[in-house]
Amino acid sequence: MKFEIEDVTVYFPYDNIYPEQYSYMVELKRALDARGHCLLEMPTGTGKTIALLSLITSYVLSKPQSPLKLVYCTRTVHEMEKTLAELKKLHDYQVKHLGPAARILAVGLSSRKNLCVNPRVLSAENRDSVDAGCRKLTASWVRALAEKNPSVPTCEFFEDYERAGSGAVLPPGVYTLQDLRAFGKQKGWCPYYLARHMVQLANVIVYSYQYLLDPKVAGIISKEMQRECVVVFDEAHNIDNVCIEALSVCVRRQTLEGATRNLHRMEQEIDRFKATDESRLRAEYQRLVEGLALRGDLRVNDTWLANPALPDDILKEAVPGNIRRADFFLRVLRRFVQYLKGRLETENVEKESPVAFVASVTNQAGIDQKTLKFCYDRLHSLMMTLEITDTDEFLHIQTICDFATLVGTYARGFSIIIEPFDERMPDVQDPVLQLSCHDASLAIKPVFDRFQTVVITSGTLSPIDLYPRLLNFNPVVSRSFTMSLTRDCICPMVLTRGSDQLPVSTKFDMRSDLGVVRNYGRLLLEMVCVVPDGIVCFFVSYSYMDEIVNSWNESGILKEIMQHKLVFIETQDVVETTLALDNYRRACDCGRGAVFFSVARGKVAEGIDFDRHYGRLVIMFGVPFQYTLSKILLARLEYLRDTFQIKEGDFLTFDALRQAAQCVGRVIRSKADYGMMIFADKRYSRHDKRSKLPGWILSHLRDAHLNLSTDMAVYIAREFLRKMAQPYDKAGSGGKKTLLSQEDIEKMGDGSLNDMLY
Amino acid sequence: MNNGEGRRLAGQAEEEDDEDDVDECGLEAWERAYADERSWESLQEDESGMLRSIDNKALYHAQYRRRLRSLASSNAASRIQKGLIRYLCIVIDLSRAASETDFRPSRMAVVAKNVEAFIREFFDQNPLSQIGLVTIKDGVANCLTDLGGSPESHIKALMGKLECSGDSSLQNALDLVCGYLEQIPSYGHREVLILNSALSTCDPGDIMETIQKCKKSKVRCSVIGLSAEIFICKHICQETGGLYSVAVDESHFKELILEHAPPPPAIAEFAIANLIKMGFPQRAAENVISICLCHKEARGGGYTCPRCKARVCELPTECRICGLTLVSSPHLARSYHHLFPIAPFDEVTPVRLSSSQHKLPKSCFGCQQSLLNPGNRPSLSVECPRCKQFFCIDCDIYIHESLHNCPGCESFRHFKTVSSSEE
Repeated sequence: MKFEIEDVTVYFPYDNIYPEQYSYMVELKRALDARGHCLLEMPTGTGKTIALLSLITSYVLSKPQSPLKLVYCTRTVHEMEKTLAELKKLHDYQVKHLGPAARILAVGLSSRKNLCVNPRVLSAENRDSVDAGCRKLTASWVRALAEKNPSVPTCEFFEDYERAGSGAVLPPGVYTLQDLRAFGKQKGWCPYYLARHMVQLANVIVYSYQYLLDPKVAGIISKEMQRECVVVFDEAHNIDNVCIEALSVCVRRQTLEGATRNLHRMEQEIDRFKATDESRLRAEYQRLVEGLALRGDLRVNDTWLANPALPDDILKEAVPGNIRRADFFLRVLRRFVQYLKGRLETENVEKESPVAFVASVTNQAGIDQKTLKFCYDRLHSLMMTLEITDTDEFLHIQTICDFATLVGTYARGFSIIIEPFDERMPDVQDPVLQLSCHDASLAIKPVFDRFQTVVITSGTLSPIDLYPRLLNFNPVVSRSFTMSLTRDCICPMVLTRGSDQLPVSTKFDMRSDLGVVRNYGRLLLEMVCVVPDGIVCFFVSYSYMDEIVNSWNESGILKEIMQHKLVFIETQDVVETTLALDNYRRACDCGRGAVFFSVARGKVAEGIDFDRHYGRLVIMFGVPFQYTLSKILLARLEYLRDTFQIKEGDFLTFDALRQAAQCVGRVIRSKADYGMMIFADKRYSRHDKRSKLPGWILSHLRDAHLNLSTDMAVYIAREFLRKMAQPYDKAGSGGKKTLLSQEDIEKMGDGSLNDMLY
Repeated sequence: MNNGEGRRLAGQAEEEDDEDDVDECGLEAWERAYADERSWESLQEDESGMLRSIDNKALYHAQYRRRLRSLASSNAASRIQKGLIRYLCIVIDLSRAASETDFRPSRMAVVAKNVEAFIREFFDQNPLSQIGLVTIKDGVANCLTDLGGSPESHIKALMGKLECSGDSSLQNALDLVCGYLEQIPSYGHREVLILNSALSTCDPGDIMETIQKCKKSKVRCSVIGLSAEIFICKHICQETGGLYSVAVDESHFKELILEHAPPPPAIAEFAIANLIKMGFPQRAAENVISICLCHKEARGGGYTCPRCKARVCELPTECRICGLTLVSSPHLARSYHHLFPIAPFDEVTPVRLSSSQHKLPKSCFGCQQSLLNPGNRPSLSVECPRCKQFFCIDCDIYIHESLHNCPGCESFRHFKTVSSSEE
């Protein structure tokens, strides 16, 4: 269908549109007009992706004088593929209506592991080895060597791509990763390098968060983008954590040992070069004198490039004299590693600010702050010079240099925490030195500054006013949309008591209370008897899950549950969990019924959908607070309080509730679906907790469902499931329309639509 | 959005920690039933602002009309072939879940009661068809009665066997039923109706294979669930072309099960015309005593097979000696109406009825009652599209559900034939 939003003609590939999609587009359009950032929350299953894509591409089409580029960031490869598939449909529709003028180029970009077509490289098991395998075949010095000596292996796909030169371009169209691989195979060009090249030319790019947020990767991939970009972060409820992780470094004993080994090898290399080819080292020295900004003459295709999170001075300044010489630099690094080793020997937990840390490094190891700041770049320059291709072997020393650079650069927003042992296992010596970033705005700041419009969107962004504070930006639009439903297909409940009327909670003082454990067990047992097919349970942590499942096993509750449904458990092992999930699905398919025990914040809670019969009910046992005694969390809370005036309690509740909402949101993936959600903890009935749930859940949470006991919940579940099993009318009945056709949209002005929705 | 929030906010602020025992929404079960139904919301106001009581009759009628329309629309392509000779296996789930008491007194009792009503209704509407009963208990499917045409024997067998235990196994049930239904002649329509209480099925093998087997041998499986929608049941019904429904309460369950009484449209592959040999035996006089073949007893009455002269007690059946299908002509006649249903009547808008520009009858053609409510306001009424006669709602339902003939059309036809013969 095709309709007007103000001055833009929107092409939408389906015959009908949900009213919330329409108003989502209206808001998005306003943000684009205002050239500002925006924050939009819309429940899952309402077609966020297609609304976004179709509005932005239509916007571009209607304003040919100002070409906008769309950068769409997803969390997983699977989501990337889904987005591209939607885009393909949309593109076909637009081309059908507008002719070839509407053609765009859209590519997905992923790691070499997902794009490589060379069977020799692809056989490596993990991402880092694939990267290293690729470099071994495509690095410039390897290729130079191969020219002289044909027995040196190279990658034929890369060679062909290079030979094609500037002729190697993708014709317009939408390319999923699959399409890219197929195209690469057919032409004999390397899809990875082709995609990376096409990023500069494409109208739409779909890739992962890291390519924009992680300074190391962003420098390589995203540095040449123009300002006229719309950057979309989809499923962005955890974006602050992604930002923080991108700038946090964790150093263990193994890291330091590995780094020592790496240094040793580099020293050997340097000696070898000194003996054979000293001119190369001298050339490098010259280059460093001239300053890092002039590294343009470093071989262009071997992109080790700048770090956008670093201040500009690092690019303009010359590398300090004491690390220009390769062997001097190695000596500095060795001293630094030695120093870190000494710090790890500590008996107590230590917490330091970067400034204090740098001061003590200067005192004890004689390395000043400026030197530390340049470590990262200096190392890469050195690795280039030494022609090291197996980069996966050198991860340890890279980690150390990351650490040094970050510590040297930032005086605020970080802290260094040294823990001699894990608090949950105080007997095992496992010292960890962590540089933890507290300020999510640091990593994302360059993105906000560089691009015209940044859209942050997800199914759960409540409370929506907290994100601008966490990420330190000013959105021009921030809106939360509810779902228009033909029937009440979600049924959230807050369960506060067991059948014996005793309160249930995972509060620290109550969680191991036998009564609470038993009441939780009875709840699951009763639910297993009335809910068909799949049930998903989320626990607050692995240790709590172990504990409670053990005690259910001892009291025989688990056995009773197994009479009705099979039980599967998520573990920290990915393979085991995948297998469990697979069998869980099969049990749901064949009618045996199954329960899946999972952990909030685990892999399953973040990425796996339990839609349709795979999840008719989700039970959230307890409130998934973070481990509040963790030193890192405490440091972050303190920072948030001092810098952004966010109270500790507020942040913890916000974080716990968004996790809970994320968990329960797994059961609803479309409007035709239905599911129940039970929040089993008395704390959920309190207003300060409950009000932080997203609006689309709250609007279905009736007052009568706020303080239930197990028996009442079972009764409600029964009634709900019967009601939902009845056939229903998709288009919506009565006055409330939930599907709009083209006429509907034409009929109503913006005003009347808004009246109808809110 | 959440209108209770404001109210709670005030109370919640101080009771940070000790809110455990506050039982704010502790509605009793009986209260909840009212709160859920919200019957007050369906009260309507009339033009003068007076409350109008809820018109149940109109509601029922609306429901009925909807059903009729859906039926008519499925028959839209004028003459849909219908399987009049049906072989139906009713599978009754007597697993542990059947003892639950959310239906009073128990699911099992409710199912048994309604199956009884269904069996009677079924034979009334499909005199040429046969039923068999199968139960699932302890994960095993048992055959309660073989396929047969006598309602009494089925009901007797069913009532004697009401106890439940163990798991349910749809696969075992389907395997067993499939084995029975595969043997019946090709002109018969094979159907299974599963009355499922359980929420899970414990199967010995891959149920998907069994479903494919059913599909291949053209067994139409329908399921009525008593508790909630189960994926595998839905899948079975979709694959084999059956109906899947879930009962909300007892009356709904009755409605659902009775929906299976009229014959379904024939599966396309069966839609080849086929001649079947049938016998129409005569009823013997009461005082002639002879030994019947079905009970091996000497008794009076009964019917004699026209081909081999054997004696049977009840019709319809198959002759035990020569295998001839024995029916009586009223049976055939009763099955006939399924093929030529009367068209649904058009609803008459009250405006048309009250506007007096054309003279409209003021009383129902069927029962001669006035079509006007007290106070001279027109009530709901319908019009036959063929003979243009008006009927009241009660007659409408009676005509479509029981009579299967329109009195208006019939009398006019009669009138015409009489008048033409007079000329």
